[in-house]
Amino acid sequence: MEASPRLRKSLHGAVMKLESSLLRLVAPLACALASQNALADDPAVSFRNDVLPILTKAGCNAGTCHAKAGGGQNGFQLSLLGFEPTEDFEAIVKEARGRRLFRAVPRESLLLRKATGQTPHGGGVRLQADSHGYRTLQSWIAQGSPYATENEPLLTSITVEPSRGIVRMNADQQLQALATYSDGLTRDVTQSALFESNDDAMAEVSENGLVRTSNIPGKVSVMVRFGGQVAVFTAAVPLGAPVESLPAPNNFIDDHVFGNLKQIGVPPSPVSDDATFLRRVSLDIAGRLPTPEETTAFLESEAADKREDAIERLIRSPGYADYFANKWTSVLKNRRDDTNDIISNFAFHAWIRDSLLANVSYDQLVKELLAATGTIVSNPPVAWYKRVKDPKEQLEDVAQLFLGVRMQCAQCHHHPFERWSQDDYYSLAAFFTRIGRKPTGVAGEDLIFHKRGLATAKNVKTGADLVPAALGDDVGKISADEDPRLRLANWMASRENPFFAKAVVNRYWKHFFRRGLIEPEDDIRETNPPTNPELLAALESHFVESGFDLKELVRVMTRSKAYQLSAVPNEHNLVDRQNYSRYYPRRLQAEVILDAIDDLTGARTSFANLPAGTRAVALPDNSYNRSSAFLQVFGRPNSQSVCECERVQSSSLAQSLHLINSSEIKGKLAVGGGRAARLQSAEISHEQRVKELYRVAFSREPRGDELSTAVAYLIEPIEDASGKPLSEPAALKQNLQDLIWALMNTKEFLFNH
Amino acid sequence: MKQLVFILSVLTACFLSSVMAQSVCLPAPRLLTTTPMGAQVGQTLEVVLTGDNLDGATSLTFSHAGITAVPQKDDQGNEVSNTWVVSVAKDCPLGVHDAHVMTRLGMSSARAFTVGSLPEVTRTAANTTLDKAMPLQLNSICNASVSSRQVDFYSFEASKGQRLILDCAAKGIDSRLKPVLVVADANGADLQVERRGGAIDFKVPATGRYTVKVNDLTYNGGATYFYRLAIREVGMDAPVIRHPSTSPVHRASWPPAGLTEEGVTAETEPNQNGSVQSVSLPCDIRGSFFPAADVDTYEFVAKKGEVWWVEVASERLGRPTDPSVVIQHVAKENENETLTDVVELNDIPSPVRTSSNGYSYDGPPYNIGSSDVLGKLEIKADGVHRLHVRDLFGGTRSDPRNVYRLIVRKAQPDFALAGWAMHMGLRNGDRNALSKPIALRGGATMPIEVVVIRRDGFTGEINLQMSNLPDGVTATGLKIPAGKSVGTMLITADQNAPRGFTSAQFTGTAMINGTEVVRECRLASMAWPVPNAKSEIPAPRLMADIPVSVGGQEFAPLSIAAAGDEVFEVTEGESLTVPLVNVRRCEFQGATMSLRTFGDGFAGNGLFDLSLDSETNDAVLNLATLKTKPGDYTIAFYGGGVAKYQHRRHEIATAESQLAVVKQKAEAAATAADQAKKAAAAATDEAKAELERSAKDAEQQKKAADAQVKEAEEQLRAANRTAAPKDIVDIIVTRPIRIRVNAKAK
Repeated sequence: MEASPRLRKSLHGAVMKLESSLLRLVAPLACALASQNALADDPAVSFRNDVLPILTKAGCNAGTCHAKAGGGQNGFQLSLLGFEPTEDFEAIVKEARGRRLFRAVPRESLLLRKATGQTPHGGGVRLQADSHGYRTLQSWIAQGSPYATENEPLLTSITVEPSRGIVRMNADQQLQALATYSDGLTRDVTQSALFESNDDAMAEVSENGLVRTSNIPGKVSVMVRFGGQVAVFTAAVPLGAPVESLPAPNNFIDDHVFGNLKQIGVPPSPVSDDATFLRRVSLDIAGRLPTPEETTAFLESEAADKREDAIERLIRSPGYADYFANKWTSVLKNRRDDTNDIISNFAFHAWIRDSLLANVSYDQLVKELLAATGTIVSNPPVAWYKRVKDPKEQLEDVAQLFLGVRMQCAQCHHHPFERWSQDDYYSLAAFFTRIGRKPTGVAGEDLIFHKRGLATAKNVKTGADLVPAALGDDVGKISADEDPRLRLANWMASRENPFFAKAVVNRYWKHFFRRGLIEPEDDIRETNPPTNPELLAALESHFVESGFDLKELVRVMTRSKAYQLSAVPNEHNLVDRQNYSRYYPRRLQAEVILDAIDDLTGARTSFANLPAGTRAVALPDNSYNRSSAFLQVFGRPNSQSVCECERVQSSSLAQSLHLINSSEIKGKLAVGGGRAARLQSAEISHEQRVKELYRVAFSREPRGDELSTAVAYLIEPIEDASGKPLSEPAALKQNLQDLIWALMNTKEFLFNH
Repeated sequence: MKQLVFILSVLTACFLSSVMAQSVCLPAPRLLTTTPMGAQVGQTLEVVLTGDNLDGATSLTFSHAGITAVPQKDDQGNEVSNTWVVSVAKDCPLGVHDAHVMTRLGMSSARAFTVGSLPEVTRTAANTTLDKAMPLQLNSICNASVSSRQVDFYSFEASKGQRLILDCAAKGIDSRLKPVLVVADANGADLQVERRGGAIDFKVPATGRYTVKVNDLTYNGGATYFYRLAIREVGMDAPVIRHPSTSPVHRASWPPAGLTEEGVTAETEPNQNGSVQSVSLPCDIRGSFFPAADVDTYEFVAKKGEVWWVEVASERLGRPTDPSVVIQHVAKENENETLTDVVELNDIPSPVRTSSNGYSYDGPPYNIGSSDVLGKLEIKADGVHRLHVRDLFGGTRSDPRNVYRLIVRKAQPDFALAGWAMHMGLRNGDRNALSKPIALRGGATMPIEVVVIRRDGFTGEINLQMSNLPDGVTATGLKIPAGKSVGTMLITADQNAPRGFTSAQFTGTAMINGTEVVRECRLASMAWPVPNAKSEIPAPRLMADIPVSVGGQEFAPLSIAAAGDEVFEVTEGESLTVPLVNVRRCEFQGATMSLRTFGDGFAGNGLFDLSLDSETNDAVLNLATLKTKPGDYTIAFYGGGVAKYQHRRHEIATAESQLAVVKQKAEAAATAADQAKKAAAAATDEAKAELERSAKDAEQQKKAADAQVKEAEEQLRAANRTAAPKDIVDIIVTRPIRIRVNAKAK
């Protein structure tokens, strides 16, 4: 679009009449106008296709700046990441009486002055005056700031070139973002696109799309965003070390893990020894240490399939159900807010635990939860609806927990990294709009029933009444008589569902392998691809084929050699963080440590309302955190969030101090009838005493040096405060307590490895 | 056994003291546990009772005459406290019966007592660890209770391939236990778990020993958390027969009078997802909500203007369901169908607002309504109709035991009644849900709130009657007016009514289509006195019978009656003054008590004050305001008062007389000792030794007598402490007052 002839004419006349003194004053304006003419002659600039991507790249419409979702700084409000172009156009061109643009002198526009920092700007300099973006904006203003150009094509998709590839460590890879429009033409939009790495430690990417890998091998992705569209570049970063021998695979997991290791040249650690395996698998499946008897029997067994047998025994044991119920009840918010919650919380926890014990299929379990009706005592999954009352919260929790999809953003605006719109959000909410509630005899507890009627939910932005749709999938017409939640559950459990199986196998993979194939485990999206997509697809397929069998999922993972690899790195794979070339050690969970300490010391922690001997992994809700400093310090979650990240798995000084010096630990070490007391009075040798402690704590026999050191310590004399030597039995008891305390404070004890 | 009884008694006493501390209303006898909780038919066994105010028990009776009891006696022939020898006749019906004990204060509240066919045992030793698991025989029942934070362990031997049903009766026999039942292997590792009150259907996987665990859902425990555990072997295809249980309150409206099994047709699958089952009206169908999300569809033809009544029973058959019926008209044009809703029927609402368990009393804690269906179908257009019946709780539950019975009938106007001892807001919110046995004190009037479920459009008035009452007891029904849902039964004991009890008949009578129809009124009560319904869910149920009794030992704190036994006459639109006479037998808090009015035509009478200090009061009824029409009425006034009640006051006199007796003995012993001492001092050498021995004996007797005095003094102090006046809030009702309203002269 050209500047108007009338304007050009009048300017021309004015310049001719100016006195020389005035020339100095108007010179800049004249230059500006001349420049404007040049800008006006630039190729036509569209707000939608050209301007908005620049603003997005500059971060103007980010949540912390001018995005409405974040409040919009200083009254200048744009849609988050530019998903509402018409509204943004209004805001820039017309709001505030049009003061943000100065067409006569585009560079004097408030928009540009702020963006370049010429006028004080809280957000700092977002555009350089010589940049491509700046010039585009200037041209757009000069051209009369149109919303769209005539017959303007619409953006239909973007791609990134290359979309995948192998990039060496410490190497560069330039990416090119290409936008395709409705007229079939493709434009290079690299300058306007945004680039974001999913793992900055592995690869960083510049704002112009230059990827630089680090020295960590594995898979890394770069998300490219432009005009509301996304594309992903996935790079394999090989270590390139020789992979000469691989363990013989046990199942398809090994094929995929070892195949990947071979591809990227990361040699795996060898398969772990029997003692390490038994301890690891017992902790991972049943949340407990193996008993000394189990350890002895396992180590002595020469059966070829003894590892498989151990896995079967653990999967069948109530410990499996207790441990995984503990995992699920936390993210299902089984939270004690009121004393009277005890019945519903106990019932809900028990429902999960019993279902896991009976190996109710995962799709059935989720269906029972999702479409729960009745009273809590007669149908405990109803308790979830006591805790999560708002349909929006219901859909968000269900999406994140069971589909690995985070829908929260889409309530107010189009999901920034995904395709989810507000229509998708409210269509999903519609499944939960026919939940009827009636009061029960218990204060604060409703019974749940299907309230007859057509399910619809209103998109609060457009006002449209939306029928249920599952993440954009049409689930068919749902009659007034049908509980829409059942349709949602059936959609989830269909073999073709791209989210349901993937979300849970990834969640369980993370449980056993420390790192999900997708991280975070509940943020599955095209722009966050798995590190080993073939493996994830195979796991998904296996899980669906097994009939959503959770025990089989545990079985297949723990039977794999990949799971059984040693945690000790070799000369090459120490840097590996995501290819599973070794077992990644992790600190035990709060409950598991507490139980392990009880097992080691022979003490028993007492929990309110529960029988003596109840293990911490079997606690039904979060209320026990309040009375247990141990559980708090070691990060037991409070069931506030659907995210497993609420559980704190990191180490802290408080944890160390608690283990070293708390009265709780001291009490356990010295408990009457505890292990120290029993070993002291038992008529056995010191070697036998030490061996028992090692078998309990580490599920292995002590090495020769460990044995001799420990025995030497046990026979050391001790003096009391007055310098008088303690009797031999008293000294032995004290030394045993010290030895147990020392073992308890080792990483070998505190970590699963 | 005695140790167990002792432990149970102590636990119950602790529980009861906490209840008593917060209870309002006058002390009432409550039977809370029987150990064991049942017996095999034909068995004679010892049964130990615990409860509240069970002193002075003279008889243990049951709702069926086939169960009898006599006091247990020890080796010396003395009656053992709260211990009875119960005999169950060989022809006694199997099932749950009610036990009640006649105490000093009258007949106690009821406690379920089950008569079964299997041999029974009672646990006698602690079995709270695996190594102390109590061995059980197959096909037997064990009576026991769980302790707090404990799990009870049992073991049994079984063979591979056997099918065993493990069932734990708890709520259905008045227990507070929410049972968790687990079958585990010999090492205690869980195999099957049931936490929702269901039975475990266990197919024995291998011959050997198995473990059964029982605990409360939240690990509560104590004597009141009792259960009956049955292990029964059944055939592979045999249906699972559960323990019998008491009836919930909503069962009062089922079955309709005269319902038989004749003409019942069975649901024929498939009748869902487009398939229909053709029926003709009227119909009576038995079906089930199975599998999950089952919707059964019945198709029939009806003509415009026809009126039908639809009733579904499922919850009232004991199933955890919420039936719903939708009836649609089907218009067909070529192959296209247009469905038009005719009616949607859900729930039988409670006729009165029930307690919401908020802080304040806002309705009775009893609900005769149900999640079942009872409603009217008016056909709007000729043609084919479809009736869809579904379970609103059934989306994910696949249980073939969730049966229903669907009846579509022409109007058969009728009614069903249930009553319960009246509750009302008294003080401090009064969240109590108390079991209130009809155990009357002399001069007391006890109100029973009566509600009705009306069937098939019946709107007429219902008169209430009670018969077979003890001597000196009268019952006056304040009718349920036409179109209304609530009436009152007033049961009054004369001041000098003698001690006694009967099993009363309680009925309602109405004229329906020119015929007098009489229906039984079921009485409901609480299984447990619940001091705070916010923290514990009250457990109401229907009683097996209606024992009415007079203790004959105490009097009501306050009796109010109209002066004279006349019928008070008044002309329509004028005022009536009813002179009231108070008989006050203890102190009251405050000088006045506010009264309301019971009775059709007069319930709108506002609050008025009654002076407690004055022996006479006037109640003024303004018929101009009330707009009471001419006719005969029976009314009563009622309110809540705070009496300074002296619990077991009679024990002071007993203790005093006992003290006087032992004092007298002590004085005599002291005199004898003194004399013996003097005699010994004055004795000759030969006699000295003998007399000194006598003096020593006399001194010992004196000391023993002094000790008895001290003990009697302590008993007197204890009796005085017990009888120290305490504030007791109670509902006080006047004797019924008859009024005739005459038409105004024209």
